Amino acid sequence: MIGGFSILLWIGAAFSWISFGIQLAQGVDSAFDNLYLGVVLALVVILTGIFAYYQEAKSTNIMASFSKMIPQQALVLRDAEKKELPADQLVVGDIVEIKGGDRIPADIRLIFTQGCKVDNSSLTGESEPQSRSCDFTHENPLETRNIAFYSTTCVEGTATGIVINTGDRTIIGRIASLASGVGNEKTPIAIEIEHFVYLVAGVAISIGVLFFIISVSMRYKILDSIIFLIGIIVANVPEGLLATVTVSLSLTAKRMAKKNCLVKNLEAVETLGSTSIICSDKTGTLTQNRMTVAHLWFDNQIYSADTSEDQTTQSFDQSSPSWAALSKIVTLCNRAEFRPGQENLPIMKRVVVGDASETALLKFSEVILGDVMNIRAQNKKVAEIPFNSTNKFQLSIHETDDPHDKRFLLVMKGAPERILERCSTIMINGKEEPLDSEKAEAFQTAYMELGGMGERVLGFCHLYLPENEFPETFQFDTDSMNFPTSNLCFVGLLSMIDPPRSTVPDAVSKCRSAGIKVIMVTGDHPITAKAIAKSVGIISATSETVEDIAKRLNIPVEQVNRREATAAVVNGMELKEMSAEQLDEILREHAEIVFARTSPQQKLIIVEGCQRQGAVVAVTGDGVNDSPALKKADIGIAMGIAGSDAAKNAADMVLLDDNFASIVTGVEEGRLIFDNLKKTIAYTLTKNIAELCPFLIYIIASIPMPIGTITILFIDLGTDIIPSVALAYEKAESDIMNRRPRNKRRDRLVNEQLAVYSYLQIGIMQSVGAFVTYFTVYAEQGFLPSTLLGVRVDWESNAINDFEDSYGQQWTKYQRTYLQWTGYTAFFVSITIQQVADLIIRKTRRNSIFRQGLFRNKVIWVGIFSQIGIALILTYGLGHVTALNFTPLRFQYWFVAVPFAILIWVYDEIRKLLIRRYPGSWWDKNMYY
Amino acid sequence: MATLNEKKTCSERMADFRRFVWNPETKLFLGRSLINWVWISLYYVAFYVVMSGVFALSIYCLMRTINPYEPDYQDQLKSPGVTIRPDVYGSRGLQIYYNVSDNKTWEGLVTTLHTFLTAYTPAAQHLNINCTNNTYFIQETFDGPNKTKLSCKFTSDMLQNCSGITDPTFGYPEGKPCFIIKMNRIIKFYPGRGIAPRVNCTYVGEESRPLEVDYYPVNGTFNLHYFPYYGKKAQPSYSNPLVAVKFLNITKNVELKIVCKIIGAGITFDNVYDPYEGKVEFKLKIED
Repeated sequence: MIGGFSILLWIGAAFSWISFGIQLAQGVDSAFDNLYLGVVLALVVILTGIFAYYQEAKSTNIMASFSKMIPQQALVLRDAEKKELPADQLVVGDIVEIKGGDRIPADIRLIFTQGCKVDNSSLTGESEPQSRSCDFTHENPLETRNIAFYSTTCVEGTATGIVINTGDRTIIGRIASLASGVGNEKTPIAIEIEHFVYLVAGVAISIGVLFFIISVSMRYKILDSIIFLIGIIVANVPEGLLATVTVSLSLTAKRMAKKNCLVKNLEAVETLGSTSIICSDKTGTLTQNRMTVAHLWFDNQIYSADTSEDQTTQSFDQSSPSWAALSKIVTLCNRAEFRPGQENLPIMKRVVVGDASETALLKFSEVILGDVMNIRAQNKKVAEIPFNSTNKFQLSIHETDDPHDKRFLLVMKGAPERILERCSTIMINGKEEPLDSEKAEAFQTAYMELGGMGERVLGFCHLYLPENEFPETFQFDTDSMNFPTSNLCFVGLLSMIDPPRSTVPDAVSKCRSAGIKVIMVTGDHPITAKAIAKSVGIISATSETVEDIAKRLNIPVEQVNRREATAAVVNGMELKEMSAEQLDEILREHAEIVFARTSPQQKLIIVEGCQRQGAVVAVTGDGVNDSPALKKADIGIAMGIAGSDAAKNAADMVLLDDNFASIVTGVEEGRLIFDNLKKTIAYTLTKNIAELCPFLIYIIASIPMPIGTITILFIDLGTDIIPSVALAYEKAESDIMNRRPRNKRRDRLVNEQLAVYSYLQIGIMQSVGAFVTYFTVYAEQGFLPSTLLGVRVDWESNAINDFEDSYGQQWTKYQRTYLQWTGYTAFFVSITIQQVADLIIRKTRRNSIFRQGLFRNKVIWVGIFSQIGIALILTYGLGHVTALNFTPLRFQYWFVAVPFAILIWVYDEIRKLLIRRYPGSWWDKNMYY
Repeated sequence: MATLNEKKTCSERMADFRRFVWNPETKLFLGRSLINWVWISLYYVAFYVVMSGVFALSIYCLMRTINPYEPDYQDQLKSPGVTIRPDVYGSRGLQIYYNVSDNKTWEGLVTTLHTFLTAYTPAAQHLNINCTNNTYFIQETFDGPNKTKLSCKFTSDMLQNCSGITDPTFGYPEGKPCFIIKMNRIIKFYPGRGIAPRVNCTYVGEESRPLEVDYYPVNGTFNLHYFPYYGKKAQPSYSNPLVAVKFLNITKNVELKIVCKIIGAGITFDNVYDPYEGKVEFKLKIED
């Protein structure tokens, strides 16, 4: 409600009231007009202020979610007795006791532990519970074992510790205060709008002051000069524009929400469009966040499996008997099960009880073989050894489904090298062949290759137990292992990966053509990270890292020219050692970067590094610890499904489907709205000149006032609103994703060309058209243009009631005033008519309107009809309300400005034609906005 | 949201601005090279010349369509306005206050009347003809010299006692002031539908005594032969007919509100917005 245009309008309102006061004291009849004008101006400011506040109020406070995390009670040893205290009363040095299930009430150093494990996932993202002891194991407080952190949970065991940090000084508190301390800086669009407001306000004030001086030096009364000043300010300020921009942004936000980008901060809509670097998480964002079988190796051959989201068919060769054997092992040696009652769901969507690998195997076999549970039922399990970390294998023994075959089948899966150790034969095309060194070599090659793709590899083997040694009644004992676990028959390998989402490679290549650098930041192993990066195109097929080059040329890594490598995989440990300059160098030198094994804290460092390059950075994140990075980034993107509340609060945008591809659609929308806002502003600014010129000509040539201040407000806040919003629905002129992100220092929303073209060319044409209408109306009623010049003082005099026109007829004051209102209406109508042409030409900035299609954007037509409709209502419906200064206009005056509207259209088409014909020319540089 | 705009000090801003005005490295003046300025100026000169041409052409076309004798529309001139002489406007309309014993207060009023009537001397009216018919003076053809139409003579002596000839003070010192009522000209307006419209002055409000008025010419009528008016081009020497009113029984030292209406078919005086349509209202206060 203050600042920018509002302050100008407040000044206008204040001047109105001052002149009302003076005129009232002088006893002038028309004094109340100024009072009303001031009230209207104040209302405009207050209403737009309320509108803006309503939009602001929607934004949420990040600290709210942190406050929810405070634990209620802590068990403290004070004054030699144990007390339950609220956690916020803890002080440094207190001794607290913790048991399994408790939330840790402060940062504590442990002095006694018993099997204590803590879940640090909210802090570091590690999902495995971490064991805690009293030993100091690492310099870094985050790494050492003897510190437990505020807000994490103790999963099991008990511990006693000394409080070392409380409240905001705790690690998580620091993250929280960092997140809130990073603060809301201005968004790129806010800066652009501010720039635009400065520009327009500058024009308004300089013209206003200039003409104030002119009118004073032309011996106008100071009071009159002030009233002119108000008119000039009102004409210059696009009252409706800021509301229009807000509406346009929220329309885009709605459209983005439909595409799974929920925008919390309206201005972030555009920020996304100007993004030049996206730092993306891997798991869940780029990948499906689900282990899936990617490759198989049997019969000495690697087969690829379908890893798309809905793997309905598997196309590898399933005719080999080896596959039959392998599939049996995969099916049987598996403890995972579908939750009951999901028969109607697609297999990929069913919920499974079991770990990630087993789930992958279960779904894989269910897709290929059909009802796995039925197969398992037919091959009754008689014994089982589950997976454990010492054995590194899993084993089960089954009856066969062949009623004539009374043998037991032993199946085993596990770490490939451990499985191979236990095998003496290998199955090739269904036949068992001895496992010689050549075959072992083949196995090694395949294993390395699959591992090199960043996949988790499992080996499978089996053995039919001889019927004579193990009769049907044999009792298997898994503790004593009264059955063979060596000399088995190796069948094959299966490798699994969390595969990329199928839409991601496309989205990444779109980013690439849009000039957006995609950086992967993940906690995963570098090999896996690189494999995924390659498969989604973050590292393109042809580019190499320094390590790749070294390997190819067979030279040490140090000798490689770093500039030759386009890609880089940076390990979190390396990143820790790096200085800011080194990081800058990596970000500068390499086009394709993957950060692996990074801690979430390092994300913030990466974001800051990118911002030092002058980039507009988008960052994805889900954990609490991501919130500083999300906040620091120009646009923080939280995951809607996996994201924590703190991350969602810190973010500017929430990805409802956690899918990277949605970000790219968001970018597209963001770029589109930037272009469309340009069009909206160009449209809105144009008529300011047509509103301003009347005042200037009125002052200089002393003609009867061509347009009233109230009438101007009816254009700015009436006829023009819907059309300017309609431009937000305009489709892109060309593929906006083939262009580089806008340079936030050079590509301004309102640049010189836009302002100059709108103000000094189209605006002037509009003014000419409107003045022709004005002169037509007066001439046809008896006042020829030559008579009008210089008549202002007599015209406005209440004491002259026999004012002579060009034909010798005599007019009373009211008759003249009514004619003046007719002039206002005519001027208003011709601006409206020409704004229709202005609206149409603003649909495109470069292409011909006919290429863009006149009818593709239906909302534009809603805009045009609303514009004309409102004008009709004002002139004919409210034409009898004298306070509004509208009169029922003769119908033909609606068409006086039509030739000028056509002229505007033709002129703009010529402008666009020349821009297209001569790119880079003087014309292009000066006429393209 | 991160920091995008660095805070600049005032001196840096000034330096930036100076650099914008004249950048010695790139030789840019206000962001353009000098030759670029020449080009852009030439373009705008050409553009505005063309636009002025378009505007001039439009006005020329407009003037071509305009009838020089009468306007296309008379939307606001349905009923004539009425003015009074002398006219002194205060903050609330016409206020004629004077003191009979102080001739400075009414000399101005008398001068106004004399000045006004100079247009009605026989010398000023010599181009006009004497009309005797009491009907509309309808002229289909241009009978006057230089393709004009004839106008009827109205001389100030027709106002008899209020002509300023017999009584150069118009009765002001006696407290029986003359006022001249004039009806605004409207082209081809036929007031009264064949019956000459007349002026009727009354008090406004609760004045007990009726207002005694002498009307000149007799009955305070506007003779029909002054109508219709054919416009400045057709009747260059046309003068509005006048009616003079002489108030005879004005109470001294009291502000009186008087309205003079023109009674006649086609003349309305009930427009709430326009106080001068078909009537003229004024305040009169004569002190002694």
